[in-house]
Amino acid sequence: MKRETDYGYEIKPAYTPADIEGMDYAKDVGDPGVYPFVRGYHPNGYRSRVWTRRMTAGLGSSKRTNEVLKQYREMGQTQGMLVICDRPNAMPIDADHPVGRREAGVLGWHGASLLEFEELMDGIPLTGQSITLLGSSAMSAIRLAYIVILAEKRGVELKEVHGSVTEYPFCSTFGQTDHLPLDLLIKLWLDSSEYIVRNKIHMRSGILSQHFQESGGNNAQALAVEIAQLKELLGLLVNERGLDFDDVAFLPYELSSIGMRFFEEIAKVRALRRMFAKMARETFKAKSEKACQLLISVHTSGRTMTYQQPLNNIARCAIETLAGAIAGCTAIDNACLDNAHAEPSPFAARMSLNTQHIVSDETGVTDVTDPLAGSYFVEYLTNKVEAEAYKILQQIEDQGGMIAAVKKGYIHTMMEESARKKQKEIESGERLIVGANELVIPPEEDDDIPIQSVEASDSEEIAKRMEEWKKTRDVPLLEEKIAQLYKDAKKGDKYNLMPSIIEAVKAYGTAGEIMGVIRMAHGFHYDPLEMISCPFDV
Amino acid sequence: MSTKQRIKVLISVIGLDGHFTGAEIVSRFLMDAGMEVVYLGIYQTPEMIVNAAIQESVDVIGISSHASNYEQINLLIDLLKKNNMSTIPVICGGSIPKQYAEALVKKGVSKIFPPQSTSDSIVNYIVSTVKRENVTGKLNG
Amino acid sequence: MVEHIVEKVINGDVKVAAKLIRDIDDGVQGTREILKSLHRHTGNAYIIGITGAPGVGKSTVVDQMIRELRKNGKTVGVLAIDPTSPLSGGAILGDRVRMQRHSLDEGVFIRSLATRGQFGGLTQSTRSAIDVLDAMGKDYIIIETVGVGQDEIDIAKSAHTTVIVVVPGMGDHVQAIKAGIFEVGDIFLVNKSDRPDAERTLNDIKTMIDMTRKKFKKEGWEPSVLMAEAVSNKGIVELLNEIEKHRKSRKALSRESILRHKKAIVRFELIDMIKSRLVQEALNHITESLEFQECLDCIIGGAKDPYSACDELLSAKLSFLE
Repeated sequence: MKRETDYGYEIKPAYTPADIEGMDYAKDVGDPGVYPFVRGYHPNGYRSRVWTRRMTAGLGSSKRTNEVLKQYREMGQTQGMLVICDRPNAMPIDADHPVGRREAGVLGWHGASLLEFEELMDGIPLTGQSITLLGSSAMSAIRLAYIVILAEKRGVELKEVHGSVTEYPFCSTFGQTDHLPLDLLIKLWLDSSEYIVRNKIHMRSGILSQHFQESGGNNAQALAVEIAQLKELLGLLVNERGLDFDDVAFLPYELSSIGMRFFEEIAKVRALRRMFAKMARETFKAKSEKACQLLISVHTSGRTMTYQQPLNNIARCAIETLAGAIAGCTAIDNACLDNAHAEPSPFAARMSLNTQHIVSDETGVTDVTDPLAGSYFVEYLTNKVEAEAYKILQQIEDQGGMIAAVKKGYIHTMMEESARKKQKEIESGERLIVGANELVIPPEEDDDIPIQSVEASDSEEIAKRMEEWKKTRDVPLLEEKIAQLYKDAKKGDKYNLMPSIIEAVKAYGTAGEIMGVIRMAHGFHYDPLEMISCPFDV
Repeated sequence: MSTKQRIKVLISVIGLDGHFTGAEIVSRFLMDAGMEVVYLGIYQTPEMIVNAAIQESVDVIGISSHASNYEQINLLIDLLKKNNMSTIPVICGGSIPKQYAEALVKKGVSKIFPPQSTSDSIVNYIVSTVKRENVTGKLNG
Repeated sequence: MVEHIVEKVINGDVKVAAKLIRDIDDGVQGTREILKSLHRHTGNAYIIGITGAPGVGKSTVVDQMIRELRKNGKTVGVLAIDPTSPLSGGAILGDRVRMQRHSLDEGVFIRSLATRGQFGGLTQSTRSAIDVLDAMGKDYIIIETVGVGQDEIDIAKSAHTTVIVVVPGMGDHVQAIKAGIFEVGDIFLVNKSDRPDAERTLNDIKTMIDMTRKKFKKEGWEPSVLMAEAVSNKGIVELLNEIEKHRKSRKALSRESILRHKKAIVRFELIDMIKSRLVQEALNHITESLEFQECLDCIIGGAKDPYSACDELLSAKLSFLE
């Protein structure tokens, strides 16, 4: 068995003060709530506020997802909701697209229009809990429009709504179903972000290392990629959109993937807080302490959930949740025990919510802030992963920054090589995974678990409903708004499209339609799959 | 077998799945095992996969499916039948629950490789399944 | 049998043509007879070579060319060639990724080939594959290669128009193309021209064309340099227009020139074919012999040195070499 960190450094049998020699507690670590925030942002830790314990929802029609959300509330999920969109919507193409209709609602919520968002939120408050919609960068601006419009319709003060509905433009590089060219994704992300910051809306934008890491990247690479993304994207908001960094710093949140390397996962999150704080202060000259604090949520890793003997994943989920809790975070959502099989079943979802409450309410982990601080091993690991991440960050900078590194395929190669190395380590038995390469049982003896299914007929139903519903809209109004959007989309990269997108969404333009005309204005085909043509005369 | 001959495999992700890492890792170790891999990437419909398989004249079709779009694999099998290409084995890898896996095999998928399958098991299966006389006898077949 | 297959190919039967190319590539017995009969149905397609280092965006250029050609109702065949791994003999043929949107278009036939690369095998099988696509009636055949090694340079020479794709900001790269393939370029395409240094790259190439002008043997044509951003389909129509111009310039030559030119190509290709068959068959003859195996054992056992073994094998198996 290999005794190495996830990023390839040998681990010693014991750690002593010599391993953290020269570490200056006040300067390098600091008390909880004190720069550089290795130990977190609140002096009282979870005593001020326990992390948001939430589960992913999103499957089938909007009405079905709405029912699930209500069930979750009854089960005790009241701090925040998290909905993931389906693949057609992530792209986005509409449910009535010839390919969209094969997968609408299959892996998430088909949130292609304001109507669907209204159905999703029916009977569910917009305020008093965080609203998080996840799934792709391409939908960011449209989802932000949903929030703005529904708040207005419900007479809710927009500033009272919090959560996150926008996402960073590199998702598709890391295996998410986004089908816009990178430059256009960046432009639209900047538009939605600028709109949020200028209007002081309390919505965060996910700039995540989760997708990168779940695709096979290691802990040090994940840190480097996260910092490189933040540096470039926040830099664009400051330099190109003329925003103040102290305002911009409230925008991003990170979703950190927490795997099974218990101590290393904790060290990673601690190091990330320090790296961001330093970048904020040194590179961006942040004026306030608050602007040096990166909001970090935790996703317990889907990659570690085995297909074989899925009940073992309950143990994994608990260990990862504990690691996330010890590391210090603002919210946790879990990949469930059935992650390698299907979308979470009610059984698996309940198990994950229970796991989080077992960790938060029974273990005492919420009593003390950053309980592993001062551990020779954990402090060593924190320093080590940070040092390694800075090396990788330098390599990304040498490529010309994150955007250039993505375009040159550098990040993709890094991720693929790391994934391949991990695969080899498992095949050779250097890394053991119970049920997969250790304590294996014959497949026929494997645990039977409930499987959440969505049938093809469900997709077809969503598609048909959209077809019919589209005809009932105020077509002249929609045409007018779409035509305006097309005109505005031709006004150059710095022209913020958010107001025109909000107008089109308000007129019940769909994601496929809105993104289609924006694509056209930028010289691309209306349909990312080039199967259907634009129904509007623009 | 002439030294010039190679097993030719088509590898594709099906449907709107954006997860390409698995398919790329498999492509890579099939290459390392001496096979020629036509890699199609992501966002491939069953129709696109079948047409590519025809134009490339492959011996095996490998599909990566990351949860839930089994309907598309069924469609692929139907299309292969329609094109008299059922002799080309279709293998699938990815997160496919047991009960769906059984249904897919019944439908005509020749083998499902669940997550954590070893590269050797996949390579060996392909080598033992592809009958080279199928290739040399192609023009007559 | 042969005529049956030939008839299917010229009627555009995709499945039969695809299998034939596979058999050619695999060196299956009997394909030679089919190629002989097929040859009289060839000579109508216009063949374009697209060559450039990995990462310059060749496949994207080809993808956009297909799109524009299809807009004009032209049928297109594509041969996308990727390198074989020298270690395993396998290959990942990934060029289709960028062209898959055409896979449902009946007017487009895309085929990936691995270099496999030994003794001109690539050149031969590619030329045969071109014949198959040509006989199928494709108006244009586009051959995409990395442009490394003699085989690929020879393929580029066979094309009616050869386009060399480069990207800005690869200073050494422009130098690198000079080494072998530069002289066969009819058109140079600076792709990703939104990158800094695009102008400089363009000028560098122009300077190099001037410097090496004598080496460009094609009469009546001055190699041109164009800019493109293939990802957003910029510069592709211009590229196709330039290719058309090159095509016309070839037609405008005098009858004697055309004939001389044609003869040179036929000569080159025939020598090439003889060469590769000679080497292949002679080699098979030697390596499959008992003496060859004996020599191997002797060398390993220390009873013989490889130089003597080589001399002996050649004189024993190829008597005329003495």
